[in-house]
Amino acid sequence: MTAVFAYRSPTQRTELLSLLADSGEQARVMAGGTDLLIDMRNGVAHPELVVNLKNVEGFSAMSWSDTEGLIIRPGVTVNDVLFDARIREDYPLLIACARDLASHQIRNRATVIGNVVNASPCSDMAPALLCLGARAVISSKAGQRVVPFTEFFKGVKRTVLRPGEILEEVIVPATAAAGRGAYCKLKRIKGHDLGIVGVAVMRQNGSLRLGISSCAPTPVLVADLSSTAPVDTIVAAARGAVNPIDDLRCTREYREHMVEVFVRRVLKEVA
Amino acid sequence: MKISVTVNGHLYERNVEDHWTLLRFLRESVGLTGTKEGCAAGECGACTVALNGKTVNSCLVLAAEADGGAVDTIEGEAHDGELSSIQAAFTRNHAVQCGFCTGGMIMSIKDLLRRNPKPSVDEIKAAIEGNFCRCTGYVQIIEAVLDASGQLTPATKGELEYV
Repeated sequence: MTAVFAYRSPTQRTELLSLLADSGEQARVMAGGTDLLIDMRNGVAHPELVVNLKNVEGFSAMSWSDTEGLIIRPGVTVNDVLFDARIREDYPLLIACARDLASHQIRNRATVIGNVVNASPCSDMAPALLCLGARAVISSKAGQRVVPFTEFFKGVKRTVLRPGEILEEVIVPATAAAGRGAYCKLKRIKGHDLGIVGVAVMRQNGSLRLGISSCAPTPVLVADLSSTAPVDTIVAAARGAVNPIDDLRCTREYREHMVEVFVRRVLKEVA
Repeated sequence: MKISVTVNGHLYERNVEDHWTLLRFLRESVGLTGTKEGCAAGECGACTVALNGKTVNSCLVLAAEADGGAVDTIEGEAHDGELSSIQAAFTRNHAVQCGFCTGGMIMSIKDLLRRNPKPSVDEIKAAIEGNFCRCTGYVQIIEAVLDASGQLTPATKGELEYV
């Protein structure tokens, strides 16, 4: 690590939010650190203060509520989700997406909330959370606000979070627990490469939702599809919703083609 | 800042800089150089250690985050000059060439066998997807894991297809 910074690890939520309110843009919060430490090493991020979230009391717990559903907090790792028997039962789409995220060591450290706050277009957890209709509970010293994930992402690595705010809870609604889901992801090498195209599908009560990663500045949701619609109609809706780029991994045309291939594939899995 | 970390059962109380990684603490402060820095970006797995019982890339953990915790490294494998069963299986099956990936590889495999004492070849591949080997080749490493888990027979040895 070439960057130099100070480190704080508050244990109380009020202490954390005051610290962030006082530090403004000089501070970056760190959950798993698996993106932030790399960004600092590469000189992309250069905070003066790194604030560890993991030791804040209550932040590493998941909880369930019959009315709200599943609540994921900042210290919950991707492997915490992957090995949770109840999530496996109720939200298999979360498991399908978590399984495809990096390697075992990274998943032991990387958090679900960090993966969405990082706001990479190729986030693995975002397609699932979009399909499941999840909401973001955003907290700061001044109070709390709730934002649906459809409004959370603002661009490449940009979200609605303002300085001093954290994404404190992800709420996955209880009403999404009965749905069927599937995820297909294209990458060059399993384990560490960024995704090239990812397509998640959620089928429930006659409706279909698609969550697509790596094909636009933000993860994309295609909602309000009928599960009885012709496959070609659903493919056309997906292709109309994405706007991929050419990069060193592949061309725009290839990404568009693979969106179609994957939409057809995930639809078969939930047929 | 001052941190207290138990490494392979021994308590170390050391001063570290806030920006030091756990990897740097292990290599430069504790002096355990079996944990390697390869990519320094969480891709190659040469820096894999167990932190509080879970494998992590020590290049992506701050030393300060390990304060009060317990770390197991490759140096904790052998006891009184005796190789661990995984290490012994690696030597029997020619699963070590240059050795740079071996420490991290063994830490991942130890974690796999703790969770799953009789892994299939596919389960072994999934468990080491975060550990790169660039010279030995994965066939010998997978054979060593089959051996260490009592699943390598004369019939299966040499039968692994392209990995």
